[in-house]
Amino acid sequence: MTMRAKLGYTAAALTMLAALLTPFLLIGSFAKGFAALGLHVDEMYSGGPKLRTVQNGTYSITIHKPVSPHMFQSGKPFVQLDWSPASALPQHVSDVVDVDGDGQPDIRVVFDVPRNPKAPLRVNVESLNPRYDAMQNAGKDKFSRLIARVDNAILVRVPLANQ
Amino acid sequence: MACKACTPRLAPAAPRSTFRALLLTLPIAVWSLLMFFHPGVNTDPKSRIAATVTAVFMTVLFFMMMRTGKTYRWRRYFFVTLGFLFPVGFIYNLILVRGTMGIPIEEMIAGRTPFCFLPIPLLILPAALTKTIIFPGSITASRYAIAGMMGLWLAITLVLGKGWCAYACFFGGIEEGMAAVPKRARIRKIDPRLRYLPWAVLLATMLLSLALFDSVYCTWLCPFKAVTEYVTARSTIGIIQNGVFILLFAALVVVLPLLTKKRTQCSFLCPFGAFQSIFNKISAFEVKIDRTRCKSCGVCQNACPNFSLSKESIAQGETLLSCMKCGACVDACPHQAAVWHIKGTELAWKPERARLMFLYAAWAAAVMFGGSIIAQGLVTILHFLA
Repeated sequence: MTMRAKLGYTAAALTMLAALLTPFLLIGSFAKGFAALGLHVDEMYSGGPKLRTVQNGTYSITIHKPVSPHMFQSGKPFVQLDWSPASALPQHVSDVVDVDGDGQPDIRVVFDVPRNPKAPLRVNVESLNPRYDAMQNAGKDKFSRLIARVDNAILVRVPLANQ
Repeated sequence: MACKACTPRLAPAAPRSTFRALLLTLPIAVWSLLMFFHPGVNTDPKSRIAATVTAVFMTVLFFMMMRTGKTYRWRRYFFVTLGFLFPVGFIYNLILVRGTMGIPIEEMIAGRTPFCFLPIPLLILPAALTKTIIFPGSITASRYAIAGMMGLWLAITLVLGKGWCAYACFFGGIEEGMAAVPKRARIRKIDPRLRYLPWAVLLATMLLSLALFDSVYCTWLCPFKAVTEYVTARSTIGIIQNGVFILLFAALVVVLPLLTKKRTQCSFLCPFGAFQSIFNKISAFEVKIDRTRCKSCGVCQNACPNFSLSKESIAQGETLLSCMKCGACVDACPHQAAVWHIKGTELAWKPERARLMFLYAAWAAAVMFGGSIIAQGLVTILHFLA
């Protein structure tokens, strides 16, 4: 048997071994290796990392880092704000939020919280800082402009004005 | 003159004895038991029934492969069952959890979209350049999250290479089932250049996905959205997208396989299949054509469901890069010129040994991955019957 043939059979035997090890070792090891690469889900979906949380009575508002689209990605830059827990929110929310943390109010966010968690949500955003776009009666229009209930939080994404 | 021991042997023309076939099946029977009945799984009666049926089904099919010496037919029973039972279990789970087959924007934001392997090649460039995964899932939240599914894909690809498309892809089974329905193909002449289309789709969707930062294939082209989770039609664009999915599914997965007896979606569109072909280069197993026996009758070319043989490749004794090692050409060849082969070894030298080694690896992966999907589909059917 030639060296090439021996190498071929070795590779074939290793393939069979890999098949046996797949459910017990390989899947877990490869998954851990992949997770260790430090990749992250596109912020257009995840909303970006959290910057800070403002307590407002029974509920809190979490402000995320502004998200910008990549290259030709559709949508505008936006900033995500989370009102949570949704169960502690009043029926009518009207909050003035300092988004950029400079001590000045940037937007006023107004929305109703229906008791039925599956009921559609609508939000009005008044811009108090030209950096932020206003929104009228917005629903789940786009990733960069929406109000949505995710688990026990109500998320509002406010588009940033073109600079 | 070559000695008897050095004379290349043919694949077994006559079937094996039942006893030998049983002996050869024993490892797969044990593997099936291990996969479906290890502690902690299948604790409720319906799951146990489904697991038992699946384990027996997979073991019997392997036994028939051993007994008859044929691969394609018995593999196809498994593969078509996988293709038709995957949507059953998957859609049921979606409706149970979400109440709809559509992906609501809330689920995407929450990162709860189950990861699908089809967009894997489209994720590479954005991930390499910006460390960003352009998929609305989460990296580690569950075993169906991105890391878990990437681990599964990498491990199975290491074992099967492009064989993924014949032993693991739960989408390919649907069109293979459709292609099996007619006795004869109505459309026989197909431009061979069309087989390069998946490569073009792969290149185009990879570049567009990088530019638009969106998995373009999933958003616009995937025919299997029609039987899994579709884009919620929130706008005119959403309606158009769903229309494209249904049209492509009807054309490439139902109508054309019925007319051509080929896997047309895999052959003419699937970018993942083209990407997976690259892994044939690192696989130890391949199918080759023994030129000393080949009579250039073209039977293998007609039998190949994936256009992986051409006159030129047959003349060179090779299959094309897209060969998914389904065994159709080997089983069909009347001169036993199409043979299983281990790279580096002499051509047609104990091809049955090469077939056995490949089938043990491939069937182990099939039982582990496809078997669990079949069992899940059966559980759903039992749930409805009960």
